[in-house]
Amino acid sequence: MQHYTFDCIYLQIDMDTIEVSNLNRQFLFRQSHVGQSKAKVARDAVLRFRPHISITPYHANVKDSDFNVNFFKQFNVVLNGLDNLDARRHVNRLCLAAEVPLVESGTTGFLGQVTVHVKGKTECYECQPKPAPKTYPVCTITSTPSKFVHCIVWAKDLLFAKLFGDKNQENDLNVRSNDSCSSSENKNNVFERSDDEDWEQYGRRIYDHVFGYNIELALSDEETWKNRTKPRPMYSRDVLPDKMTQQNGNADKTDDLSPASAMASLGLKNPQDIWCLMENTRVFLEALKLFFTSRKKEIGNLSFDKDDQLAVEFVTAAANIRAASFNIPLHSLFEAKGIAGNIVHAVATTNAIVAGLIVIEAIKVLKKDGCYRMTYCLEHPSKKMLLMPVEPFEPNKSCCVCSQTPLSLEINTHRSKLRDFVEKIVKAKLGMNSPLIMCGLALLYEVGDDLEKDMIENYTANLEKVLSELPSPVTGGTMLTVEDLQQEFTCNIYIKHREEFDEEKEPDEMVLSGWTQAPPEKKDDKTSIGNGASTSKSLPTEPMYAQKDTEVKEISDGTASPGKKRKLPEFSEGCTLDQSNDADETMNHKKIQKLDDDDDDLVMLDHWGKDTCKKQRSQ
Amino acid sequence: MAEPKAKYDRQLRIWGEHGQAALEKATICLLNCGPTGSETLKNLVLGGVGSITVIDGSKVEPGDLGNNFMVDESCVGQSKAKCVCTFLQELNDAVKAKFIEEYPEALIGSNPSFFSQFTIVVATQLVEDSMIKLDKICREANVLLIFARSYGLTGFVRISVKEHAVIESKPDHFLDDLRLNNPWPELKRFAETIDLNVTDPVAHKHTPYVVILVKIVEEWTKAHSGALPSTWDEKKEFKELLKAGMVAMDEDNYKEAIEASFKVFASRGINSDLLRDNA
Repeated sequence: MQHYTFDCIYLQIDMDTIEVSNLNRQFLFRQSHVGQSKAKVARDAVLRFRPHISITPYHANVKDSDFNVNFFKQFNVVLNGLDNLDARRHVNRLCLAAEVPLVESGTTGFLGQVTVHVKGKTECYECQPKPAPKTYPVCTITSTPSKFVHCIVWAKDLLFAKLFGDKNQENDLNVRSNDSCSSSENKNNVFERSDDEDWEQYGRRIYDHVFGYNIELALSDEETWKNRTKPRPMYSRDVLPDKMTQQNGNADKTDDLSPASAMASLGLKNPQDIWCLMENTRVFLEALKLFFTSRKKEIGNLSFDKDDQLAVEFVTAAANIRAASFNIPLHSLFEAKGIAGNIVHAVATTNAIVAGLIVIEAIKVLKKDGCYRMTYCLEHPSKKMLLMPVEPFEPNKSCCVCSQTPLSLEINTHRSKLRDFVEKIVKAKLGMNSPLIMCGLALLYEVGDDLEKDMIENYTANLEKVLSELPSPVTGGTMLTVEDLQQEFTCNIYIKHREEFDEEKEPDEMVLSGWTQAPPEKKDDKTSIGNGASTSKSLPTEPMYAQKDTEVKEISDGTASPGKKRKLPEFSEGCTLDQSNDADETMNHKKIQKLDDDDDDLVMLDHWGKDTCKKQRSQ
Repeated sequence: MAEPKAKYDRQLRIWGEHGQAALEKATICLLNCGPTGSETLKNLVLGGVGSITVIDGSKVEPGDLGNNFMVDESCVGQSKAKCVCTFLQELNDAVKAKFIEEYPEALIGSNPSFFSQFTIVVATQLVEDSMIKLDKICREANVLLIFARSYGLTGFVRISVKEHAVIESKPDHFLDDLRLNNPWPELKRFAETIDLNVTDPVAHKHTPYVVILVKIVEEWTKAHSGALPSTWDEKKEFKELLKAGMVAMDEDNYKEAIEASFKVFASRGINSDLLRDNA
């Protein structure tokens, strides 16, 4: 923000508070600001070096209904510094509806990008669908993990959720235990502590069940292990034969000032150490005990939070024990936390570069320059260039967002419910927040604050009905209209009935088409040596294990270098950048809005498929 | 320090403990703290650099307020080095920040040995004459030197360092050596047991791609007096050779072999220059 020297009105939206880990790059904040609202502190900091401008901070979520099309219409340009796809899509739609140019951006480590989206002139943010967040097949997580991340997902989304989360949630942890030999009674009681068990006994019993018994059960299926290394069942009596001695600190102490930590109790000081199997076992048992004793009120409601030290310790230990079982290398708490928490690495320099580029593009927008560039920051120079500017493309004619192209959906109208359609298609795939679904003139479903009770009942009932049995039946040939009024985004979906779906490739039993999808990338993209592509490890992933929505194909996030699949653009000669430093004096009464979300900025990298080359360049 | 500071968590995930330690040991000297120099130092300070020494002889003028957010109205008339230093210190109190109110050109001329104490000297907005002098000084003192100049929306950065070793290069791509062009005895024997031209189509498409490569590489080196494909044309030829071995379109093993052929091209062993080097 320090670059913006216009005499204009700024509004900034950020729902986040300042964290210590922000301080290595978010230089408007100081140690003393930790815990305070980012929007407010940033505003104060800027006013200190630019006292006479108008900045209004909003400590709020950009998806709030207050930030509607009229709100966005106030601005000459919108600058995004968001950290998730959902919010970006939402703002994209609002900017299209309000006809305000949008400057998008993101960073991850040494990579970054800035893109400009002007309605009618360039592609909108969604013209190139962004790759879906990485998911793993259910069986890989529950039965055949081969990488450490699979163990983390198991520990976080299955074991942690089962022990400390909502007990009523469906959980695949014991999916193998659906054997005839274990009665359902048995299954339910395994995770309940009996009255005569102390915490260590309980912990060991859980340990033996998930790391011992469940593995033995999995081994009984010979077919699975024909071409795979067999896992080893682990039993706590073998790994940790002696009872854990009472460590310092009575777990029942209620006046303990510092939050419970298994590492602290056990004297493990360095999060970068890789614990051995025995240490992991100790941490597992100790963390479990601490959760049930010093945090018992939260049990049943907990979800994993990367800033929850005890949760991170538990997940690290559990993942490591599982990894040991499956011959996968163990990791330190530091590494495990990064994977489990989807932590994006970040440094001050990349953000500084991207910020500078944002300003340059913003100035072009305000001057109606038209010579916009999408600029990509590479990690290593490619053809001697570290920044790769690219001319924007014309809007994608089959973009369902800015070109209002209709889509089609293959679905079994006798089997799939409206709820599936709403959750997986309308909200997840289409990114609508508060959708409204119509079949002809009939309203099948809507979300809103001021709905009448009988309408809500009606919609709730509709959700549970299969499509063909809705009050206004939805069958093959029906056209559904789906809208989000806040985003001013309408989409027409033509329904095609289909009986059968591939269980592995199409587990949702719904196939949406008509919107150019990013083709899936090969898993091992390390073959692309010498053309500047970065590794997939540097790319962010969102929650990795979607309970029922896992897709078999691992769709990896696109690579950082769009140069990989298309040639470098030639710089158009007719385009001159404003060289003057006095830009600030000439910009009056222009309004800029800056949007921020979490501390960790993610880069949403466009996937450059073969068809990119054929598209029209916009001038 | 055993426990990494939470503040540096996000960057530790880029350069690790050793990288952070190197940063924290470094002492930086900045010449001229205009916008370019200040911005440079800001990023280093945020990252936890060991110490900074700001050298600038000028005073803050009203014109500076519009392009350097490290100085504010209250600084006008004061030493720019002092003001920038104060601001930078606020950004990270773990960094030792010092300033000297003196013009860099004067220092270069009068006290060249001053620079030997630093790990890196960042020299901004110097004229060529001064840059040349400073470069000589730093080379002799074995101090890393970075020049930067900016002019409006353009500028340059120039690094002047002696040859040095990079030990933890953290490569993005790890090129595994399958010893395809120099197989060890067991691999060689294994490859010998397989006939690439087996008539059974099922067996043909199940030949492991590694074996295909080992055999084709052998054929190639025999025909090229021991050399591996090195030019673009040769590599292409090699791939064509692989393709020629396919009998059906759906032979994934051959496709894999073609895709992995780059593993054959990279030369192995220690670079001959390195072997010759006596330094």
